[in-house]
Amino acid sequence: MYFQQLLLLIIHKFQGERSSTAPYYLLKGKKSGQTIQDVTYFQLHPYFSLYPKLAKETYEEFMKNLHAEGFIVMNESRVAITEKGLHQIVSIRRPFYNGWVLRGKEFIFWGRLELIVQTLSQFQGNEKKFVPVQKSNEIHHFVKVFLQEKDFHSSSFGSHFKKQLFHLLENNRLLEIHRNLFVYRLSGYKNSGLTWEQLASHHHLNVVDVKFLFIECLHILLNDITEEKYPDLHVLTKGIYVQNPLTDSASKTSQLFAKGYSIEEIARMRFLKENTIEDHVIEIVSADPAFPIQAFISNEQVQKVLHIARERQTKKLKIIREELPDLSYFQIRLALTKGEEING
Amino acid sequence: MDKLTEVLKYKFGYDSFREGQKEIIEQVIAGQDVVAILPTGMGKSLLYQLPGYLMEGSIVIVSPLLSLMQDQVEQLKILGEKRVVAINSFLSFEQKEKVFRNLSSYKFIFTSPEMLQNDRFNHALSAIRIAYIVADEAHCISQWGFDFRPDYLRIAKWLQQFRQTNVLALTATATSKVVEDIKTTLLMREPFEYIHSLDRPAIAYEAVEVKDAKEKLAWIIGRVTSTNGPGILYTQSRKKTEMYAHELQKRGIRVAYYHAKMEQDDRILVQQQFQQGQLEWICATNAFGMGIHKDNIRQIIHDHIPTSIASYMQEVGRAARDGAQSIASLLFTATDVEQAFYVAMQDFPEEADIRLAYESNDISLQLPETTTRILDYWKEELKEQETIQLFQTIKQKKWAEILSLYTMLQNEVCIREQLLHYFDEELTNRPKYCCSKCSLPLQEILVERKQRSEQKEEMNWKIKLDELLLS
Repeated sequence: MYFQQLLLLIIHKFQGERSSTAPYYLLKGKKSGQTIQDVTYFQLHPYFSLYPKLAKETYEEFMKNLHAEGFIVMNESRVAITEKGLHQIVSIRRPFYNGWVLRGKEFIFWGRLELIVQTLSQFQGNEKKFVPVQKSNEIHHFVKVFLQEKDFHSSSFGSHFKKQLFHLLENNRLLEIHRNLFVYRLSGYKNSGLTWEQLASHHHLNVVDVKFLFIECLHILLNDITEEKYPDLHVLTKGIYVQNPLTDSASKTSQLFAKGYSIEEIARMRFLKENTIEDHVIEIVSADPAFPIQAFISNEQVQKVLHIARERQTKKLKIIREELPDLSYFQIRLALTKGEEING
Repeated sequence: MDKLTEVLKYKFGYDSFREGQKEIIEQVIAGQDVVAILPTGMGKSLLYQLPGYLMEGSIVIVSPLLSLMQDQVEQLKILGEKRVVAINSFLSFEQKEKVFRNLSSYKFIFTSPEMLQNDRFNHALSAIRIAYIVADEAHCISQWGFDFRPDYLRIAKWLQQFRQTNVLALTATATSKVVEDIKTTLLMREPFEYIHSLDRPAIAYEAVEVKDAKEKLAWIIGRVTSTNGPGILYTQSRKKTEMYAHELQKRGIRVAYYHAKMEQDDRILVQQQFQQGQLEWICATNAFGMGIHKDNIRQIIHDHIPTSIASYMQEVGRAARDGAQSIASLLFTATDVEQAFYVAMQDFPEEADIRLAYESNDISLQLPETTTRILDYWKEELKEQETIQLFQTIKQKKWAEILSLYTMLQNEVCIREQLLHYFDEELTNRPKYCCSKCSLPLQEILVERKQRSEQKEEMNWKIKLDELLLS
């Protein structure tokens, strides 16, 4: 139910202008020019890279159901929401996500927290030999350093940590189901967490529903964690936010721009197609609204594109270009990207 | 207390050795090559861990199964040993380099056969002192063993550079033929051989022939709902693990399924729940078992004929580690033989695959990974026709093995005797509860299951948080 509504929300945002795979690539966080540009065009930042492990079969199954229920219509190149589908989402609670800056890394925060709780609980139960719930060496190391700095053997640290956690979970943006999923997934002394399947069957939900609710829970909590409010928990968020949202390749292009090279020159230097460099420009502008684009398109031309887009209620390049044949597709894309920055 | 027992107590927390352990450890310390065959659950790891604390230098453990390696590293860490590292394909280039630079700071160095070809690794190894080398799961060296790893054969060449270092070969199951292969491949000189009886007297065997899959399910439901676990139900597909778990769950059993396709976090949680007694049963593929350190497993059920006798012994061996009476039941239908053969042959190269491998350089796109790995090896060693011949022979042996397992289940002869006989062993002491061909008063072995009145409790995060952490 939950994931289904989330898909409808996203499909709605695409305004019937993209194919049925677009939401999938968005949720997976595909780093292609198209997906990244769409994030800005359609204001999809919250949902980008929300669940990188999403299986194609699962996604397709849900899309098939939405179609069978008459909530969406699709053909080879487009998917759109129907009246009936719209009805499904008009009155629902708006989910809170922060995909663009977290990109699946909220699970690093989770892993650290999970292992800390397990360790504290085991030590409180006087059982110092236990199998860690997390296998990654990085997480082991992080937690070890964290706990060693904290004098974690003392009962005062344990209760202090628990208080912070408790307080964090009282956040009134959370639903009760968020809190239950979060806490029942945790393990400790003689007390094991539940699998996704077990959590789902308890709530009579799908496994995917439960995962997306869980991710939402983490995003809501992370949004609330500041150094002042939660000094210890804040440490656990170290390095999980994306600092440079650009792909490596776009990053290199960006550096070359800073040195004053043109698109053609960069393409030649990097043995890439000009198209690719243009995709990078779109990506750079999406990430950094202040990036100057006058070298590619004038302000006046940007305004013209935006005017037509508004008037015709479309972001389809082909329609816009029919009215402005002097502009390239790249220029139109750039104008639309910039336009969202101005409006959004 | 002698020195060995002192270390046993101090480092591992045990008061006394199990049968055979002390003898083997003494030989290792004395500088002998050793082949040790001990059934699953008899404390094999201790054999290479303990001498390390009495000898100078590092111990290099070659382990062909990655998941097993991770588990062994974890177990040592749980014992408080920090000087332990696993060098395998999971490490990045930088991580490897860092480990190589500090190699001598590790007491226990685990590695996969693939890594033995890494020059940087070998260079680093040549600069440190090695107490002894361990070949774990040594039966994988033999092409007659049930999971032959061609990469592992490369250990022979690799060992040339360590002619002065002693080797300890460990395995749970090996026929005499496999033992010979192990000794030759590992260049052993008059090794000390310790072959523990593979018999597990506390495990009774039960073979049940049924008509079809429906009858299997009915039998399983009957057994699991009326008698006590903890138990493992082994089946052959992921789908079936889920089906069985679902059916049993509906009838009030605390059960979960387990297979390799699950997320790692979920797999860990299922293992943990089983270990802690939150689950009575696990319905699993053969992916479940490694890394399960649970002493009181009372029942193992197979709903199929396994693809090899050795792997069957290993799966069954997870029961009764505490020595208390347990039972291993195997359900089969007449058509299961073909099914077993089909499963065994899944990754097995056909003649056409072999020809393809000799014609083209990169076959990884067309063939499964295991097949590719095996063929890549033989391509270097044999001519095309010889390889085809070899695989025909192996195929025939496999077929014969599965057939002989089927015969064992069907005929009137004692199952225990036949299993041991397969490993060239005679049964000397027949336990009171032997097998369904001898006498098996089930009511004396199985404990009646008491239905716990289990109401689905509401979730209350505050209560669970209080259970986890003190205020």
